[in-house]
Amino acid sequence: MKNICLGLLVTVLLSMLYACAHTQSLARVHPEEVKGLVDCGECHTDRWALWNHRAADFYNKHRFFADEQSKACNVCHQEAFCADCHAHKEEIKPSDKYKDEPERNLPHRGDYINQHKIDGRINPAYCVKCHGRQNNERCRSCHR
Amino acid sequence: MISASSDTIFRLRETRDRDLYPLYEYLHLSTVQQVTGGVVSFNMGGWGRVDLADRTTEDHTNGDLQYGYLSYRGDRNNLVANLGRVWVTEGVASERIDGAYWRSDLAAGFMASAFAGRPVVTEPNALAGGDVIYGGRIAHSLPGLYTIGVSAVKTSQVDDGADVLEREGIDVWLHPVKQVDITGISSYSSRTSGWMENTYHLSLAPLHDFRVSADLSAINYRHYLDGVTTPALSVNNALNFGAGTSAAGANNGILNPNEELFMLGASVGYTLRKNLDLVADYRHFDYKVQGDAHYFGANLTYTPGTYSAGLQIHRMDGGAERLSYDEFRIWASRRWGKVDVTVDLFDVLYDHDINDVSNSFSISGAVGYQFSPRLRATADVEYMRGPDYENQLQGLIKLTYAFDVKAGTEGRAK
Repeated sequence: MKNICLGLLVTVLLSMLYACAHTQSLARVHPEEVKGLVDCGECHTDRWALWNHRAADFYNKHRFFADEQSKACNVCHQEAFCADCHAHKEEIKPSDKYKDEPERNLPHRGDYINQHKIDGRINPAYCVKCHGRQNNERCRSCHR
Repeated sequence: MISASSDTIFRLRETRDRDLYPLYEYLHLSTVQQVTGGVVSFNMGGWGRVDLADRTTEDHTNGDLQYGYLSYRGDRNNLVANLGRVWVTEGVASERIDGAYWRSDLAAGFMASAFAGRPVVTEPNALAGGDVIYGGRIAHSLPGLYTIGVSAVKTSQVDDGADVLEREGIDVWLHPVKQVDITGISSYSSRTSGWMENTYHLSLAPLHDFRVSADLSAINYRHYLDGVTTPALSVNNALNFGAGTSAAGANNGILNPNEELFMLGASVGYTLRKNLDLVADYRHFDYKVQGDAHYFGANLTYTPGTYSAGLQIHRMDGGAERLSYDEFRIWASRRWGKVDVTVDLFDVLYDHDINDVSNSFSISGAVGYQFSPRLRATADVEYMRGPDYENQLQGLIKLTYAFDVKAGTEGRAK
């Protein structure tokens, strides 16, 4: 009973906040076509200026932006872009699929059969992002 | 408006006992219709594969629906409602689901999102992936200052009602001034009663040409790996740490569930001159059980436009034998009109031989040709030699076609 009341209270509160909200949605599609590793700060002066895709730490930070601001990612990236790495089932390594885009530093370069034994011990949390609950068919061929 | 893009990929690979010639077709389709108050769209992406050489095994064909959902995006309040197979990234939730997802801005700087459905896991029968998933996130933003969110996700099984995973978390993005931002997340596993992860990242750009970053991460394996369905990574297998080997020869329970990782890292980047960037980075891995390791090195990249090049040198120096190696990468790319050429060399030198091999390297060359704004073809060849391959040669030919130039390439840029 207590949980139901709490749920109702939260729902009513959220409904009121929704009814009172009047923000303008982000553009569905970025108005200017952008290509390559962009530095959003070249045009933006607000918080989006911090999204410098060329910065060395952007790869590490992109998960936080996706977790918190996925609507902004979607202005330039369709889900297909994310699915290249964060796939349900994928047989081609990202670094193999885009050999002609070396500047992206896509993962699993070279003999990854050997290197995965090392990377997996360094930090298995890196593996879990893409292979924790999905895209693990190939893992199953050896690891039962 | 209907748009679509196609990637047709033909691979040539050799394994220890056979040659493989798989042919893939990746298709992405979207339709967009303006309606009163917003936009309705349908988005779908998937692939299919057939092996042209080996049709003897059951898996000579394969395929997948990567995503497929009906979406409504409102003109106001960043309202999004998706129905179908969607990938949800909201705080502690990073899950692909067959279900519904909703998010909207609320008044006074608040936003909320919610999702529910069936989790899409690749191996539902290997380890329990759950039958039902639901969760949400509430956040507050002060533009120009911060976004702070709280989120939760829960997955359970229908038959016995058992929870597969139950997580809560707090995420932050602080950007008090243009030159500083802090991102991070702390996540807690209620099912195992412990903190899974505390990861935070600080970026400073005091000058346009000078950037500094620092990050720290604390991972508790027992709690972080809970709910994982990959046997090699699963905490359920980790609880059998060192229990033995499977028929395939790999250890069951590879990861020690008592392990805790604390990682501290930093990087310094400087633009030496326009388009020439130098970054030095360092990471210290401190393990509760297996000692510690240091990873450090530098990247130099030059990207003036029609050509680009990069050089990366890193050293991994750890207590464990396998965590002692040098890593090198050098690449270059050049475009002449419609033609572009890329060369990429990656080399790892181990301090201690693995399978009597101390050097693992791969070299690849790729050529691309832009026939038209809609049609591009690329071909590449890669040679590899390492502890698991004496000599391996593989190739790939890719044909990319955008049925609608503007929308077909939308979001598919590099």
